[in-house]
Formats: sequence, structure tokens, C-alpha cells
Amino acid sequence: MISPDRLAQPELGDEILRLDNLNVHFPVKMPFVQRLLQREKAVVHAVDGVSFSIHSGEILGLVGESGCGKTTVGKASVRLLNPTSGRIFFAGQDISKIGGRSLRTLRRKMQIIFQDPHASLNPAMAIGRAIGHPLWIHGSEFGIQNLSSTVFRERVQQRVLSTMREVGLTPEEQLYDKFPGDLSGGQKQRAVIARALILEPDLLVVDEGVSMLDMSIRAKVLELMLDLKRQHGLTYLFITHDLATAKFICDRLAIMYLGRIVEIGPARDIYADPKHPYTKALLQVVPIPDPDKRKEKVLPRGEVPDAVHPPAGCRFHPRCPAVLPSCGWEGRDFVDFLDEHLSDPKRAGDDELVLGPIENWRTNGLVASLEAKPLNIEEAVERVKAVLAEAPIAMAQAIESVSTHKRTVIIHFRPPNELRQTQVGDRIVECLLYQ
Amino acid sequence: MDPMLQVQDLSVHYKTRRGFVRALEELRLDAIQGETVGVVGETGSGKSTLGKAILGILPAGTQVDGKILFRGRDLTQLSNQMYRRLRGEEIALIFQDPMTRLNPLMTIMDHFVEEIRDHESVSADEARRRAREALVSMGIHESRIKNYPHEFSGGMRQRIMIALAIVLKPSLLIADEPTTSLDVIVESQILGILQDLKRAYSMSLLLITHNLGIVAEVCDRVAVLYAGKLVELGPVRDIFRKPLHPYTQGLLSSIIHLETKELHSIEGSPPNMIAPPSGCRFHPRCPYAQSICVERLPPLVEFEPGHFAACHFGDKFL
Repeated sequence: MISPDRLAQPELGDEILRLDNLNVHFPVKMPFVQRLLQREKAVVHAVDGVSFSIHSGEILGLVGESGCGKTTVGKASVRLLNPTSGRIFFAGQDISKIGGRSLRTLRRKMQIIFQDPHASLNPAMAIGRAIGHPLWIHGSEFGIQNLSSTVFRERVQQRVLSTMREVGLTPEEQLYDKFPGDLSGGQKQRAVIARALILEPDLLVVDEGVSMLDMSIRAKVLELMLDLKRQHGLTYLFITHDLATAKFICDRLAIMYLGRIVEIGPARDIYADPKHPYTKALLQVVPIPDPDKRKEKVLPRGEVPDAVHPPAGCRFHPRCPAVLPSCGWEGRDFVDFLDEHLSDPKRAGDDELVLGPIENWRTNGLVASLEAKPLNIEEAVERVKAVLAEAPIAMAQAIESVSTHKRTVIIHFRPPNELRQTQVGDRIVECLLYQ
Repeated sequence: MDPMLQVQDLSVHYKTRRGFVRALEELRLDAIQGETVGVVGETGSGKSTLGKAILGILPAGTQVDGKILFRGRDLTQLSNQMYRRLRGEEIALIFQDPMTRLNPLMTIMDHFVEEIRDHESVSADEARRRAREALVSMGIHESRIKNYPHEFSGGMRQRIMIALAIVLKPSLLIADEPTTSLDVIVESQILGILQDLKRAYSMSLLLITHNLGIVAEVCDRVAVLYAGKLVELGPVRDIFRKPLHPYTQGLLSSIIHLETKELHSIEGSPPNMIAPPSGCRFHPRCPYAQSICVERLPPLVEFEPGHFAACHFGDKFL
């Protein structure tokens, strides 16, 4: 669908991984009775229409907060999860539906590293054995019939030792028989990297691979990853919440928010001139290690909303500092704002008596309505308008009408503009500001 | 002004099957009223042990030497009963993960009422009124006070925990990695709240963290811990401008921030705390180590007013 990166960086190698409108939805577990009563199935929209490609020798950073779907994208890319819809291409081959043997053969070419090295290693398996384990699993693919032969065993050991040397797990002869409990955090993560490398994969998915390491050793592991890229032409999908690390190590960045990629492009450009308001917010909160550069921050309000019912229009709009009236305002945005308003006794005064409690409000798409049948409906309308005067201007402007119908106050929002992915320079941004 | 908190030569040794783990050795630190002191260190530096020692919640059988003076009173000599009064009322703790503090089977209201009525003989109504007030001050609607912890988002839980910690208006707040489990934007929000509270109640804040970026943004003074020893202590500007201990220097240059052009790290890995290295505990990883560093433990020296470091060659970096 979208692959402008080829135009921007013509020197890039072959396409290793391409996601084409990937969707991954998870069903929400709920009690049996509730499931019967509910007509529509509740699903978590973990990943909703994500497309990008990674070329050989490139590091693509996938950056976002928890719950944005970055880990799900990573797992789906190596088919640890099945996509709900959309397609995944690995080296030109559609792998979105394959399984069994062909998937297993493919796994040799793509490996994944997780955040916690301690949890990734079997505490009862010696390091050398753990690193060599993938060779035993994939042994037949190397044309070896008899896995128990001494020849194979020796070849595995040699490979393990040389890989350990390569990732700096030295002295390798001594560490070979150690157990994970004897190793430091940095050494454990090196062992995990060695285990992933021993099959000589083309693609390495690194999911928060350095986040748990102490600062003083984090740089070493990042350097190792860069070395491996240079020496083996390894390609990475680097998943992280840390924009500073991503900026340093990645060639391109994809910023994710609530299942969507909101901005993707060269890392340097995104850092120098972020386009999407969410990208700007993320850059702003990266701490500056200089006590003389303290400054007040303009933070997005609230937290990441629930991915079962993502906001309409642009998913970032309820928190966005640059929001427009056409960004996707809807009934529940008003109710959320009213809830916030009523929470603050100084602002609310006696509004609660007329407009509360918040449970009396119903929302349906673009409509919010007060079902309490207030005694004085004119006053209720006036109060709603007064509350709106304090609301974000964009929200107030998005309202089509505040009307009454049979003692019910009804608020109608205008339908939002259609949000499209827009090419801005060598970047793709999903924001109305650039459409 | 007299320091509110004075930690004097505090040593904490945990008893394990393999021997004593020397988590803290002869630590000195103080905090005056209204001050934010950052306690920085990596895994195993003893920074969390310090917080636990001040609150008296170390595991039984732990060997504690030295003094912890709080408003002139030595906390290490306090009876359990007295300690219970002090916790919450005078010194409160904010944990890294709110779910370890909040009981999943209790409503938010019950948490507050329990906390208040354990310490003060007030009516249940009065306790409930104060609970609502505390919750609203953290920007959470009072109607949600009957909800259970799992019904809140991560950032809201952390705000509830802060509300719980300050409901009795303690004068010292210890925050142990208070934002590590939060998202970056929420982290920034929470740090803002802590700053505002500190100003509003003129509390002292002991911020235990591994994140030097946060320290630069919110702390007045910084204590750097390495392998259970205080290696450097000073005003935040001095520490960031002119770090005197090679470990602090290494730690500062290994921060990855947006302006990072080159990666730096400290060679080697943190020492075994059962048998820590002789002399300066940092010597096996130190680029400047000499024979004296192996033989003799460097004392904590005041190289500049208020700026201490425990390095034999600290004056070289002045």
C-alpha cells in the first residue's frame, strides 16, 4: 500500500519484511451470561491497519507507550501471533497464513528477543546448551540426519563458542557450563542475543531488548547490535518506548498510538521536526540530563484510552494539544469532559445538581443525551452551554446543536473529516493538520 | 536549618544462606525540610535498602548499624509500636508498582479509612470526608471512591497511592522508583504532581531512582550510590556539571538522551555484594584506578562546599 521509503532512500537493500494493512484483534473475555446478552463481540483493537516495510540492513524503530500495539506488531511479524486480517511478507513470500513445517523453516530466518533476559532463559539449562539449542531444533535443515552423532555435537559446540565470542560473552570456555543464575543482567542479554544469532537470521525483532539493563551496560548491548548489523547485514525491528534510544540506533522510526502508526519516516528528520502532535509530546517528555534546562512541559491530558472502544476519528484527538473541530469529537468526549468538570468542586459549583450524576448521561456515536428529565430543562441547556464554554475550543466548535426532546437534553456533534495517511516530505503522517 | 533526616554511618547487612550481603556500608546522608534529594544507583547499589531502612521495613534478621535520626529521634531504636505510628503520619512511602500497595479486595475508600483511623481517632464520617478530599485533590472524581483498584488505569492508581501517602500530611515522602512502571507521558504528569505537593506541604522528598534524567529535572541534591557505598553527594548542578567520582562520570556519560552522539558505558559489571572488592569498591571498573584504590577505602571528602566524593583522586577532577 505505502512504500515511499524506497523513493527516499534508494541505496537500501531488498525488502525483508512488509506488513500490508495488518490487523490483530483480541476477543475480550467475559462471563457467559454477558456474552449472551451482548450482541456485538467486544474486541481489543491491538493493531488496526498497520503497514510498513523494512529493507535489508535497516533498523526500523517502533515506538509507542504501553498498549499501543507495538509488541503485537513484533509478535505478528514473526508469526508468534496470527493476524486477524492483512498480510505479512517475508522476503517477498506471503507468510500471513502459512503454518506447520514451512513456518518452522522460516523461523530460522527470523528471531525475536524479549525484554527480560532472565525470563527468556531456562534456569536449569547451562548457557552453552541454551545457545546451541536452536541448532538441535533446526538440525535437520542443515542436512544433518543423525542429531546424536558426535560429529554434530562437536560442530554445535564450536558454533556456540564462536557465537559467544562474537557477542562478547567471554571467557566463553568458562561461561559455557554456567547457569543463567550465575550471570549478570548484561551477560544474560548477550546470551539471549547469541541464541538468536546462532541460526544466522535475516531479521531480528528486539522487543524492549535493553530496557531492563542498567544504564552503564545498556550502551554496550546497543553497540553490539550495531556491530552485528554492520558485520552481518542484519535487519532489525527495534521495539521500544524510549525515544532517545530509538533515535540513536534506528534508521527510520514508526510512532504508534493505540494500534495505528501516526508517523513514520527517517529517524533524524522525525527528531529534528516532528509532525504529529503525539510525536511532539513523546519527544517533549524525554528527560534532559541537564539541571539548567528545566522547563515547564505542555503535556497531553489523561492517559491512553481503552483499545476496546478506540476514539473516533484520530485516536489521539481527546488528548491532543493541537486538536481541530473536525478531528473526531463525539458524544463520550463531552461526557468525559463533564465528568472531569464535575470532579473539581471549585469549577463545578452546583452543576452536579442539574447535570449530574454522570451515570445519567447516555452516548451513542456523535450524540450525548441527559436522560434524567431535569425539572428545569431550559436551565439544564444553559448549564451545558456554560460547561462547553470551558471545554477545549475545538470540542465546543465541533458541536452541531444542543437541543431538547421530551425533557431530554441532546448534544449533537458534527461528523469528523476523513483521516488519511498523508505524505509530508519523506514521511507519512496521519493527522488532519497535514491533509 | 537543622536537617529533618540525618542518616549516620548506616550499614545494612542482609543474612542469606551464602553469607551476609553488604547492601549498605557506612552511609551518611541528610535532608532538610522542603528539599528533594535524589538517591541514584543501579541494580544492587543499595538504594531501595536505604528507603526500607528509614521506614523500618527491612526483613527480620537483618543487621542494621548506625543511626537514622528523624527530627532528632533515632529510628533504629524505635519500638515496633512507635514505628507504626510514625509510618504514614510522619514518613510515607510511594512504591514502584501501585498494585503492590493497594489491596485488590478493598475499595479505595476502605484504603483511606483504614489509613486514617489507624493513626487518628476520628469518626468514620470524618475519615470518609478526608478520603474524598484527598482523592479529589489528585484529580479523581469522588464518585469513584467506591471502586476497586483494578478499575483504575496505571496513572490513576499511582495518583491514588500518592493521595494515600499524603493523606496524613507526612513531612518526609520516600518515593522508590515512583514512575518506572508508568508510560513516559504519565511519568511526566506524576513528577509534576509530586513537585506541586512538595511545594504545597513543604515536604521533603527522597526520590530513589536509576533514571538520571528525572534527577536532573526534579532534584535539589543528589546522592550517588555504588555497591552499597555513597560515592558522591552534592547539589544537582555540581553533580551534573563537575562529577568528581569516576563512577558518577561514567554513569552520566552513559545516559542516552536526544543529543547523544556516541555511546559510552562502564566496563565490567557490578560486584558481588557478599564479597565486595577491597579498597574502593569501584576500582575493578575504574579507568583511573591505582594501587592505593585497591588497598585503601577512600573516605568521603568535601571537595567543594556541600559537594562530597569518596575518591582518592577527587581533587584531580575539580
